[in-house]
Order: sequence, then C-alpha cells, then structure tokens
Amino acid sequence: MKIRSIRHVRGFDVARPISIGMMLGIMLPLVLLPLLSIFIYGFGNGFRAFVSSLIAPEAVFALKLSLSTSLWATVFNVLFGLFAAYVLSRYDFWGRNAVIVTISLPTAIPTAVAGFALLLLWGKYGMIGRLFSENQQIMFTPYAIILANIFVTFPLAFGVIKPVFDTMSRSLEEASATIGATRWQTFWYVTLPSLRGAIVSGALLTFARAVGEFGSTILVSGNLAGRTQTAPLYIFAKFNEGQIEAANAIAIVLALLSFVIFSVLFFARDWLEFETQEA
Amino acid sequence: MIAKRKLSADSGDLHVSWVPEREASSGVAASVRSVSKHFKKTTVLEDISFDVSEGESLVLLGASGSGKTTILRIIAGLEQPDNGYVILHGQDVTDLPARERGVGVIFQSYALFPRMTVEKNIAYGLKIRRSPRKERRETVDRLIKLVQLEQHRKKYPWQLSGGQQQRVAIARTLAYQPQVLLFDEPFGALDAQTRVHLRREIRALLRQVKVPSVFITHDQEEALELGDRIAVLNEGKLEQIGTPDEVYNHPATEYVATFLGAANLLLGVATNGFVEIGTARLPAEKETQRFRDGQSVKLVFRPEDVCISQDANLPEGCRRLANGVIEEVNFVGAYQRLTVRLDLTHRKGDTDALYEVTINTPQRMTGVPIIATRPKPDANATRYKAGDRVAIGLTSFSVLPNYTLVRQR
Repeated sequence: MKIRSIRHVRGFDVARPISIGMMLGIMLPLVLLPLLSIFIYGFGNGFRAFVSSLIAPEAVFALKLSLSTSLWATVFNVLFGLFAAYVLSRYDFWGRNAVIVTISLPTAIPTAVAGFALLLLWGKYGMIGRLFSENQQIMFTPYAIILANIFVTFPLAFGVIKPVFDTMSRSLEEASATIGATRWQTFWYVTLPSLRGAIVSGALLTFARAVGEFGSTILVSGNLAGRTQTAPLYIFAKFNEGQIEAANAIAIVLALLSFVIFSVLFFARDWLEFETQEA
Repeated sequence: MIAKRKLSADSGDLHVSWVPEREASSGVAASVRSVSKHFKKTTVLEDISFDVSEGESLVLLGASGSGKTTILRIIAGLEQPDNGYVILHGQDVTDLPARERGVGVIFQSYALFPRMTVEKNIAYGLKIRRSPRKERRETVDRLIKLVQLEQHRKKYPWQLSGGQQQRVAIARTLAYQPQVLLFDEPFGALDAQTRVHLRREIRALLRQVKVPSVFITHDQEEALELGDRIAVLNEGKLEQIGTPDEVYNHPATEYVATFLGAANLLLGVATNGFVEIGTARLPAEKETQRFRDGQSVKLVFRPEDVCISQDANLPEGCRRLANGVIEEVNFVGAYQRLTVRLDLTHRKGDTDALYEVTINTPQRMTGVPIIATRPKPDANATRYKAGDRVAIGLTSFSVLPNYTLVRQR
C-alpha cells in the first residue's frame, strides 16, 4: 500500500508538532536566545553586580534622559497625530494624499539619514540653526534628542489614529451637532472617547520606539556621557570601552521595558476590540 | 434659545408644554421654501416647497436617489441648500448651523454614542447645555419612562435591540425639546415584523408628545401608515403632497399612482364627459372637467377599484368600462388577483394603435390586460376561472393628462 500522506497517523495530526517545532527552531537563534543571553550574562556575576552597574550615576542619567526625551516626543506626536488625523480625514483638499504619504515617510528613512538631515537643518550652519545664537544651539543638547525622537516616531501614532477616524461613522458627530453641541464639545464627548484605544496604543508604540532610538540620536546628541547620552548610546559606549557588565545592565532594563509595553499592547487588545465593537 | 424653554417638570407629561403660544397659533412648525440643491452637475432637489404643521407628521416618500435624504439634511442644517429657505417656527434658519436649530434627527443607524449608557445618551443634550443636575435627572427619568426603557437605563447601546436603540435615539432628541423631529429611514435596518410593530409604537409616541415630525421612507405602506400627509418625491421634484387618502386615491401624476401601490394605466381621450378608450366609453363627468374635448389622457385605477360581473349588471356605484376575458386567477393570501383582458379595439380612423396587443398564445388573444383584486368574501361568492367572459366596471379612478403622448407628437 502506498502511503499518500504522512499528515494523519491514526487520527493524530503529525504536521502539528512538526510545524510548531520548526517554527520554534527557527525563532530560537534569531529571537529567543539573543534575548535570553542578555539575562544570562547580565546576572552572570550575581544580582549585586547587576544592581551596582545599574545605579552607576551615568547609567541612571542615561535611563532618565531616555525616558524623559521619549515622553516628550510621545506627547507631541500623539497630540499632533490626533490633530493631523482629524484634519486629513475631515477635510478634503488639494494634495491631501501627498501629505498623508509624507507623514508616513519617516518609517522608511534610515534613522542615521534622519539624524543627519536634522543636523543639516538645525546645526550651527543649518537653515534654522543659524537663527540661534552660539550659546542657544539646539544640536548636541537633550532638545536635539527630542527632535530626533519626534522625527523618527512621527508616523506611529498618526498611523494608528487615522484609520479609526476614517472608519468612524460621521453620523455620530452629526447627531451630536443636531443635539446642539459645539465642535469642541462633539470632539471632547463623542469623537475622543472613540479614539481612546487608538491613542493608548499609538502612545505606547511611539514611546517604545523612541526609547530604543539609536541611529539618529547618536548623530544629533553628541553622545556626551552624563549630558546627552541616552540609554542605547550608553550601551554602545560601555560596550566599546569593554565594560560589558555596565552595558548589559541597561540592556536588561530596556528589554524589560519594551517587553512590558508590548505585553500591555497585546493584552489590551481585548479592551481595544471591545471598544471597536461598541463603535 | 430652545434650550432655555423650561420643561414643566412637575406636570409629568410632555404635552405641548414647550410650544409657545405664538407658534402654536400660527400652525406651521416648519417650512421648506423653494429649496434647490445641486451636487456638482446633478440636480438633487428642484424648487421644493412644503409646510409641516404643528403636531403633524409628514412623510417624504421616494425611491432612492429622489433627494429625500438631502431635504432632511437641509432641514437639519447638515447640508446647505443652493437656493431657498428653511423656516422653523417663523424663524429663517437657513444660515444657522445644525446645533443652533433645535432639530431632532433620528438617524437611520440611530447614531447612539457608543461610550455612553442609555441614560447618558439621553442626558447628552442637557449636559452640553449645562442644565442643572436635578433638572437633567428628572428629564431623563421621565423620558426613559416615556420610551419604556426603565430596566435598560444602565446599558450600553450595543446591548440593546434595534427597536430599543431607536427609542433611545428618540428620547435623546426629546430631551432638548426639538422644534421638529426628523426620521431618516427609521425602520430601514429592522426586519419586517419589528417594523410594523415599531411604527405603530412611534405613531402612538408622537401622538403623545405632539412634536411635528418628518419621516423619510421608500416604503409606501410605511408612508401610508405613518403620515398625516405624504409628499411624494421623484428625481428631486415634488410630485404631490396630500393626505394618504388623497395621494392614494387621487394621484396627481402617473408616478405617484404607480409608486404608491399597484395601478392600472390605460391611454384614452377625453370627450364630452367620457373617457374614450378605444371602443369603450367610461362616464367621467367630474373627472374630465379640466380637460378639453379630444385631449389625450391617462386613465389610472387601482386593482381593488375594479368590479367584475358575469352579467351586464355591475354593482351600484360602479361605472362600466368594457367587457373582458379572465386570463388568470391567482390566490395571493389576503385577496384574489385576476388578470383580465379587456376587449378594446381601437376605433376606425384612430391612427394611434394603442391597444393592438397581440399575444402569442394559441388563441392569439388581443386586447389590454388589467389587474383586478377581489377580497376573499367576493372571491368565495363567485368563482371565476380563466376564459370566463365578464363585464368590467370601476368604482374609482383618476384621469391624468397624457403629457408623454403630447411630446411624442
């Protein structure tokens, strides 16, 4: 008898364990082991060593700087994303599609190019930079980091919020208007609540991306330890100096942070779906 | 302005309480005056005018694309007319934005706010007007009771059935005492049974609150049941406006006749108080008054206005039209439907061979087919079968000018 298929052996689907095994096998060296190795090496010299490299002043500063610059970039990009999405889905104007494409462009641009472009514009001899006096220069300060973060994460919040705007039924806003609400009241009481989920996930995505930003930051910040060195830059710098432990401690923090953010995003999906079901 | 008018909280009812004396006496709640609207190059509305009286419910009836939704949106202020005015209780509101008009719109999708409970949806109009909490609660309580949703007040819209959502939508507009209620295809999203049930409910509710309302529908049955008056729209033009009885029994145009229910249509000529259709002469003194002799006309009558008799004696009040042969008998539930072929040969000298219908049957039948319906008792009393020769009369009919023929000539 010819065996036509190995897929089913007495009602047992052989393809199942094989496929799952294959998938995990491929993921292991590519994703799972690298993540695991951070933790293995990080705690290799004991937990105390980990803590002491973590509370080194430069490390604490780098972490704080990363968090605060990312936070400001997130605040700006969520607010701007909301505003841009509102304008671009409510008003039709000549060149609207070109604007939509442009907003999404930073996703496709290499981050080093983004940093370089910012330097050219805002640097001492740049078009905008030359308007500032010598001691007010923005480049190589924390503001430059915020600027770079804004540029790089620009499309993220917008990209999440815009589709919700597009699919939102116009009749809700029209109903609110006929009931007597002003545009602002309608936005506040009707439109915004429907966007809650999109705003939260847009903010988390933006923040996660900004905290990890390296390519553009290293160009515009100057990478000055204790002044403009963000967490990813700190990892790079310590690694170059051969202080693997110091780099590793921060790496663990960043890995955990992104892990937490993406867990929130993942588990919040039920909540977010509940939102769309209502709408 | 409208918001400031106080709901008499203690009286516990909503009867005309917010219609001020002046407005009530004028009798007209809303007027649309020669409104026209174009979208790009297509004309959506052409010179539409009508009034809605205090407490009246007017139905705008028309096929999709007739412009009925556009009228509603123009009254609500969600769309601007190119020409014409919208007047609400004597005030020209054409240039006012939707939120200052005090109009209640019940959208086809109900457009309930998904993040708000039933209570909060209803209270929304009062909340944005910053009315006192106590007044807000009282109004919401009363309205929830009015629309019978007491057990559902804490629920979210998606937890309610279509009919319940609609009642919330109505209560939400009643909360701010609208000058006029506009219903956009209110039963479009519901199944046939719920529809019938709900429109009776709404009718009863409207009688209670006495807010003038405008309904939009493409369903003639719905129009006849909901409207104190019906306005029939066709391709952006108002064909006829009148009571259900008027538009159904005395349609002004062929479109109205055929859109509202089934209608038979015969072409004829008005002569000396008769409508001549081929060799047949139908006495119609009153109906032909407005036509000159020899004018080409259309005779329009409903299947239920046809009387049939096996001898020459037609029942009282029935005017004789012609003889015919029963071609088909169908039983369609509530009544019986007959197809009768009239012997109408055109007269000599008449060049318009209007009635030379030849059908490829073994009998090579000629003549004009009409549809007649009979109620069950009649159908049971005298049974007809295909091939029976009968006399045909009409109890009621309309005579309309035949413009199409004029144009052809």
